[in-house]
This record gives sequence, C-alpha cells and structure tokens, in this order.
Amino acid sequence: MRTFSLKIIACDRVFYDGECTMLVFPGFDGEMAVMAGHEAMTSTIEIGEIRYQLPDGSWQYAVVSDGLLKVDRSKVNLLVYSAEKPEEIDAFRAEAAAARAREQLQQKQSLQEYRISQASLARAMARLRGAGKNVPR
Amino acid sequence: MANTKEIQNRIKSIQDTMKITRAMYMMSSMKLRKARQKLADTEPYFYGLQEQISEILSHFPDMEHLYFDNRIDDRAETVKKKGFIVITGDKGMAGAYNHNVIKTAQTLANEAEDRRLYLVGETGRQYFLSRKEPVDTAFHFSAHNPSMHRARVMTEYIVDLYQREELDEVYVVYTRMINSMKEEVEVQQLLPLKTHEFIKKELIENAQKGEGNYNREALDRVDDWFLIYPSPRQVLEKLVYNYVTGFLYGALVESSASEENARMMAMQSATDNAEAMLKSLSMEYNRVRQAAITQEITEVIGGAKALRKKKKKQVR
Repeated sequence: MRTFSLKIIACDRVFYDGECTMLVFPGFDGEMAVMAGHEAMTSTIEIGEIRYQLPDGSWQYAVVSDGLLKVDRSKVNLLVYSAEKPEEIDAFRAEAAAARAREQLQQKQSLQEYRISQASLARAMARLRGAGKNVPR
Repeated sequence: MANTKEIQNRIKSIQDTMKITRAMYMMSSMKLRKARQKLADTEPYFYGLQEQISEILSHFPDMEHLYFDNRIDDRAETVKKKGFIVITGDKGMAGAYNHNVIKTAQTLANEAEDRRLYLVGETGRQYFLSRKEPVDTAFHFSAHNPSMHRARVMTEYIVDLYQREELDEVYVVYTRMINSMKEEVEVQQLLPLKTHEFIKKELIENAQKGEGNYNREALDRVDDWFLIYPSPRQVLEKLVYNYVTGFLYGALVESSASEENARMMAMQSATDNAEAMLKSLSMEYNRVRQAAITQEITEVIGGAKALRKKKKKQVR
C-alpha cells in the first residue's frame, strides 16, 4: 500500500513523525479517513480517538484533544493540543477531571465557563474511553 | 577617607546582599532549566501552528467575516478598539525584562486611540494601574508556570470580547527568547486574522524586496484550490480558538523562559558586581587600617621624642 508522511504535533511534544498508510480521525460530522493521494484539504479534529496504520500493517491509537488537520501533497499535518497513547493515560486523573467538570456544569456559570467545563468533560471522557475504562454515567 | 568601622559596616551589608543575589541566582537557574525544557517541548507546536495557520489562511476564499474584520460595518469604523495582552513577570529583579515589555506596550497603547489592556503578571499590572491606563481588572492571570488550561481560559475571555465586538483588534506583547544571551520583545496581532488577499500582497511585496520569509513555492500556490471541510465558516470558528490558545500558550512559555533567563543574568551580574565592590572595599579597608596604625606609631614616637628632649633639658 502507498504511504504518506504523517506528523502529529501536540503542544508538549512531536507525538509522531513518520510514514503511515491510513489515518482515521474524528471529524466534524463523524470519523473520516485519509489515505495516500488524498486531495489537498483542511479540516478540524474533534476531541476523541485517532488511529493510524503503520506501513507494517499495525494500528496505532491515540487520544487527542481538538485541533487542526492539513492534507497536502502526500503529507498530513496534525496540530492538536494534546495527544496521548492509551497506556499513557492516567485514568484516575481523567476520572477526577470528569467529576470536577460535571460538578462545575451543575453550577450556574457564565457562558465562557460553561464552554470550558464542557470541553474538559469531553476531554476527560475521551481519555477514559481511550484508556479502555467504562465511562461512568 | 572613611574610618574602619564604616567600611566594615559596608562590607558586611554587601556580603549580606550577595548572599541573597547568589541564592536567587541558584533558584532562577533551576527554574530556567525547567522553563527551557518546556520551551523546547513547545517550540515545534508553536512554530508549526503559526506556519500552518498562515498556510491555511492563504488558501481561504475571499469572504467577509467577523474574524477578518472586513465586513461593511467594520470598514465603516474609523476608530478601532484595540486590546493589548501584555505578558510581564510576577516579580521584579529580572534586569530589564519587565521594563522592556512595559515600554513597548506603553508606546503601542499611546498610539492607539481606543485601547484596553489585558495584563498577565503582577509587575505590568502595578505599572499600568498606577498610571490609570484602561486595564481590564477581570482578566487576572499569573505569568508563573504557564499551562494549557490558563491559555484556554484566556482565549475564551478574549475571543468572547471579540465576538461581542468590544474589541476590534487584539495584540499580544511578549518576550521571545532568541538564545540564552538574547531576548526580544515581540508584538503579534492575534485578531483579526490575515485575509487571503493580505497574505498574497505580503508575499508579493516580500518577493519584490527579496527578503523576509518569502517563499517562491508559497507564492505560486496561494491561488491553488483547497478543500475546506466541512465549510470555511466552521473551520474558521475552530481555527480562531486553536490559533489564539496555541499562540498564547507559546507566548506564555517563551515569556517565562525569558524571565528566568533575565533574572539569572541579572543576579549573576549583581553577584559579580558585589564581588568587585568587596575587593575594592577590602583594599580600602586595609589602607585605612594601615594609615591609622602608621599615624599611631608616628604619634607614639613623636611623644617619646618630646619626652626624651624634656628629660635631657632637666638633666642639663
């Protein structure tokens, strides 16, 4: 299979820089996949899980928070706030963050605060899902 | 010439000050190591973001939008409401670090007719509040230990103001660390975003002058067709938050590394100066002490001589 170069940059490190055959990411209206030879495109990534297939056929998973994606001449750039491998996720921390965000959402907040809490809740849930834990309802 | 007691007091006080500056040097060099690490981790993101944003924007269709500040209403405005995010340190004792940022911000603020200041860090806050500048006091953040969360909260605040059109232009004034010896105050316009038209003009101008980050390839491809999914408007909405958050985070990290670096250098030179002063003072002290001893001896000898003369007279 043809490959393209993929670069995933998070705010604290370059998460991945190398070849890949397919990338699946959570887009605006559901998951989207990019393969080699994709037309030039710009899109957004939602909070969630991405996966990419390495040339050897194995799939890699990562939990990302929202960001931007640019596809350009057999090169894909992903800029996200954070990217973590499932095994790196601290489930306890994510759980605490989810609880905190839920509590904040219960309270009366300004619109700004509401959006921040909502985003942190989404991130915490994505992390928990990525870590293979059941998301408490 | 001062007497020995006075010189001794000065030496003592300089030694005490030196202890403080030396301790502060150690502390800031430790913090600098941490801040440097963080900076190195963030740099690919910070520069990658700027590059990617300008590339995406250069492919954006010509459209009128709030974020480009080119709607008919926006064009009719004669006075633009400008907001300045100024990143200073929380504490002083960092050489010219705070002073440089404040000076640049003050110049910019003086030029703007309708302005508002959003201050990060205590030093800048004190300065601008005491000068009765229009400071937004609800925007209250520390410059210490930058985090993504803080950048997000700041972004929500600023973008919200922008969306309500209480601000037309947003600038950030921060310090960029060029290398360990050099740092520079930088001003970057965050909002409105540059339009396709503007970037193209900029590229052509740079090409004519043959300077800047002019890039032949970039110029050729400005008009290339680019798919923007799901729609330019939706991507734009996301992009603004991403850009402002990412940039603010980067600016906070750069500034905090610069601050520690400036403090370390300031404390280093303070310690050096104290050492030089101690050296010259101890020389002076020795000289004064020697002079006092010499004088005493002269006096004793003089007295003894006088006594002997007196005795001789009596014998005669």
